Amino acid sequence: MSDFKALTESVIKGDIKTALAETQSALDAGSNARDILDNGLIAAMDEVSERFTKGLIFVPQMLRSAKTMQQCMKLLEPLFQEGDVTSKGKVLIGTVKGDLHDIGKNLVSMMMEGAGFTITDLGVDVPPEKFVQKAQEVEPDIVAMSALLSTTMPAMPQTIEALQKAGIRDKVKVMIGGAPVTEKYAQEIEADSYASDAGSAVSKAKKLLGVS
Amino acid sequence: MKPMEIPTFQPRLRVLNREQALAIHTAALEILEKTGFRMEHRGALEMLAAAGCQISGDRVRLPAYLVEEALRSAPRQIALYDQKGNKTMPLVNGNPFYGTGSDATFTLDLETGQRRRVVLKDAANFAKLVDGLENMAFAMSMANPEDVPVEDIYVYVFAEMVKNTNKPIVFIADSGRDIAKIYDIACLVVGGEEELQKKPFVLNYSEAISPLRFPENVMEKLIFCAQRRIPICLPSGCNAGGGAPVTLAGALALGIAENLVGLVVHQLAGKGSPFLFGPNVSVLDMKSTVVSYGCPEWSLAQAALADMRDEIYGLPIWAFAGASDAKVMDAQAGAEAMFSIINAMLSRSNLIHDVGFLEYGSTSSLEMVTMADELVAMSRFFAAGIPVNEETLALEVIERVASGGSGSIFLMDDHTFEHFMEAQFLPKLLDRSRYDSWEEAGAMDLYKRCNIEAKRILSEHHVEPKPDEVLKGIDQILQGR
Repeated sequence: MSDFKALTESVIKGDIKTALAETQSALDAGSNARDILDNGLIAAMDEVSERFTKGLIFVPQMLRSAKTMQQCMKLLEPLFQEGDVTSKGKVLIGTVKGDLHDIGKNLVSMMMEGAGFTITDLGVDVPPEKFVQKAQEVEPDIVAMSALLSTTMPAMPQTIEALQKAGIRDKVKVMIGGAPVTEKYAQEIEADSYASDAGSAVSKAKKLLGVS
Repeated sequence: MKPMEIPTFQPRLRVLNREQALAIHTAALEILEKTGFRMEHRGALEMLAAAGCQISGDRVRLPAYLVEEALRSAPRQIALYDQKGNKTMPLVNGNPFYGTGSDATFTLDLETGQRRRVVLKDAANFAKLVDGLENMAFAMSMANPEDVPVEDIYVYVFAEMVKNTNKPIVFIADSGRDIAKIYDIACLVVGGEEELQKKPFVLNYSEAISPLRFPENVMEKLIFCAQRRIPICLPSGCNAGGGAPVTLAGALALGIAENLVGLVVHQLAGKGSPFLFGPNVSVLDMKSTVVSYGCPEWSLAQAALADMRDEIYGLPIWAFAGASDAKVMDAQAGAEAMFSIINAMLSRSNLIHDVGFLEYGSTSSLEMVTMADELVAMSRFFAAGIPVNEETLALEVIERVASGGSGSIFLMDDHTFEHFMEAQFLPKLLDRSRYDSWEEAGAMDLYKRCNIEAKRILSEHHVEPKPDEVLKGIDQILQGR
């Protein structure tokens, strides 16, 4: 294993320019892409999320680190070998039908991506059939739904029902969140998990899939 | 000749100079002309196009002269009436009026003190409490109850408020469908559409989506109100760092731009209909990503908006106060509530909602409303200033007491007896008792005292009930007949 200290530090700092240069020089020095990802980028993001959990850094700093990691990934992606598992899991995410709010959903997407998940973001006002159709296409591990309005919350159980009817409910974990959503509501509609904010969405997703 | 009276200076906070106010205003106009916005309501889009907006793809660009026209036709005087037809809320001259907030998911249970999911009965209790509190001018539901059909959630809470208060009501609706039902109930209460138009007791609160997005259901409500002359406000949630730039100037410019779009569509749909101005400019907390209800930024942005009202817009403004990010009614809750209450008073905001919220607006608390009522009274006392005249200078009294014999004290003087009620703020809930009496009375903190007072009001306060035929009519509307 190589030493990626300068790389991890630049990702933690959110210094995109240095991180890209460090990634390139690691590749030039003969490190393999998988090693750079695991021991450089992901190690850095683990440290970032730990600092965030402890309240040592703020959301924009964490997002900047995530952005830095994603930029570096672009250098690595063409070099991964077949069979390399480079994702913690696939997440299909969207704001439910009738609801056009997306700040919270976008934040969850970015933080999950930063934590190593692969995200398919369906945007806002996503009808149940669209969730189903896309789920059949990308075969996600998690379907994540967001709602800000209490009046649009019923679209969550409707989407779960649609997944059921399409015969794929058992193949995915369902996560929900949003201002009016509660743990109790998640239980009532038989979602697999509820997260109260973007940070806990990441840890709940990891828990659901048994990854760290 | 009598000497001239000395005018009383009433403390007034200013946070912007004219140059700052104009720069934010022109920035807002530039956003509308250059960046444009997304209008998702076909009717509104057609009106905007006919009025001279440029439409390309899904973006609408709005020329500044349309804003000027809308500002000219919107009334500067909006008054809300109580449900008996008394003008209780003249939203003019920087008059501040406080009231509760909308849509809390949870409430602090009055009996157990525990945070629990809100039910319909809570909306009734909050309305009744507001009815019984002197300094609460209007009611909002404080409740997003779990025990009613979700598609008619706003109709149910509106009906519950009407049954439990005669004060003005600020209401929420989902779309053109349920607002029509709420409107029917409001007409029933005052005896018809014409009466409601003449003496409106309701004001609708709707929100556009920042940045610069105007959904169909929101515009349905705006046009509905414009056509029926029901007062409305349309603040977007342009919170700094969330829906808007992290810097307050940019967040204000964006929020004002969004509000001006609302105003233009509103005046095109109903020229001269009442529109309450102002965005919600709080901050997105950079650790928790909640929209803060206790931050100094929201108060600062609101004071800035009051300055812009005075410098430019002339329309009464929408505001917030008396809320907190604390989870229980603790010292943080008291500090944050007072900070925004005194700020709203000193900056002369007009319609000030959200009083009584904890947990960044997710939890409502009857105790918090009760406490805030007293904090509003305290702030109003402060904002009245110090009248300086012969009677208040009291030179004769000083002479009388100072040259009186032993035993001559101010406390005994008639001047004290005659003036102490208005010369001093006399708290009801804030405790100034001596230690021993406080201990004897149960050593209660403010939360406990507010709990007892809220319970007392709910059990003793009499709300004049609505006539049977109105109640029957409401039930029929709720049952969809």
